[in-house]
Amino acid sequence: MSNLLAIFLGMALVNNMVLVKFLGLCPFFGVSKKLSSAFSMGIAVLLVMLVASGVTWPVYHLLLAPYGVEFMRTVIFILVIASLVQIIEMAIKRTNLTLYNAFGIYLPLITTNCAVLGITFINIDQTYSFLESLTAALGAGAGFTLVLIIMSGIRERLGLADPPKAFKGTPIAFITAMLLGLSFLAFNGMV
Amino acid sequence: MMQTTITIILLSLIGFIAGLLIFLASKFLPKEDESLGETVRIKEFLPGADCGACGHPGCFAYAQAVTKDKQVFAKTPCPTLAQDKEGMKKLETYLGLKSEAKIGKKAVVHCTGQSETLADYRGIETCKAASQLASGFKECPYACLGLGDCVAVCPTGAISINPERKVAVVDWETCIGCGLCVEACSQGLTELVPANMPQYLGCNYQAARDIPGRKRCPDGCIHCKICVKVSQNGEVTWDETKDLPHFDPEKCLPAHAAIEKCPRQIIKKTATYKEPSAISISAVSKSKPLR
Repeated sequence: MSNLLAIFLGMALVNNMVLVKFLGLCPFFGVSKKLSSAFSMGIAVLLVMLVASGVTWPVYHLLLAPYGVEFMRTVIFILVIASLVQIIEMAIKRTNLTLYNAFGIYLPLITTNCAVLGITFINIDQTYSFLESLTAALGAGAGFTLVLIIMSGIRERLGLADPPKAFKGTPIAFITAMLLGLSFLAFNGMV
Repeated sequence: MMQTTITIILLSLIGFIAGLLIFLASKFLPKEDESLGETVRIKEFLPGADCGACGHPGCFAYAQAVTKDKQVFAKTPCPTLAQDKEGMKKLETYLGLKSEAKIGKKAVVHCTGQSETLADYRGIETCKAASQLASGFKECPYACLGLGDCVAVCPTGAISINPERKVAVVDWETCIGCGLCVEACSQGLTELVPANMPQYLGCNYQAARDIPGRKRCPDGCIHCKICVKVSQNGEVTWDETKDLPHFDPEKCLPAHAAIEKCPRQIIKKTATYKEPSAISISAVSKSKPLR
């Protein structure tokens, strides 16, 4: 149990997807302008990470590893994740339109997100068990959502600030991200 | 050789299974909500400003509500579309019904911007922040601060700040009456009035909430009530809580006499103001042109 907790915290804070591993940077800057959309995006990524880890683990350990085709994992994982997200999007769109309006519109963005692909590779590289993989995905998703929410909160306030003209918009967002990354460095070596 | 064959077989197998799953999902999941296509078609007719003036959270939600019940459109037509007669007609013919002709709403700003600046404000450049410091930096505590919170929220760009007097001015041609500026104004100066309202008061100085040391500008209402006295048909009444004249939005009567008699000349004519016929009050023609 304590092992799972360590994996969760490690993925969420110490090895944060965005600020430490530098994965999923496009949504980090693209969807972090408004708090509400950042939250929706974060939750959508979390769910896709969970499902992707849950599917790619058996695919790797039951299909790829026994036949010695581990080197094809990138291609196969992309294929599996992309078709999976397609099915999820279809299911949400046809059963719950309200949910689709809230989260579904972000799903196509996530299909080939590097953070989602990244967590599946980390699971394999760390030789996690199935349960550990799911915990790692949950932690990574939670860390991603956390950073996205912090960033969007700062950016909403940045809109009121008065930086020099040359720094307005994206440059000041990059500087903010740098400071945020520095502060997450403090978690280093915790787990 | 063996390795290559296995790889090819495995890859095509996984690809085939993924494709099969998507096929099965699209076949056996409940069909797409019929209304979705209809909603998208109705949304094509809407302006897409997502202003929320209709009371729904955005154009898509409004289209959904109309798809479910067409009477929604008849009862509360999209206020933004109502400005555009041709677009309105297109949606009416598409839905096959007529909307109740509703008079739209327009925003007015109850300030002429004559108040002197008391202090040099250097801080966050929003009215909301500036108003936190002693009701703003103008001599009149009710004055428009001119930092443009309303300009920022206006979806159609109908509000601009007059550069000379630093006061928000609404262009009734482009105003869609969504009311976002009413919420944004920290001084409570913007108000929605019916589009056929002929005049509004260019002041919000409330004697009932007088602040010692602060005073009204040369354009400020002095609460003389002469506008009420000269109005024969009850076009102007006195709002006791605000201590300011009030124009009934239900009646929207033109107050020619009051506009003429106001000692501060602050009952401003709107875009829908019509000059009275020559016989009734000839004096009006001499009145100062509206700024």
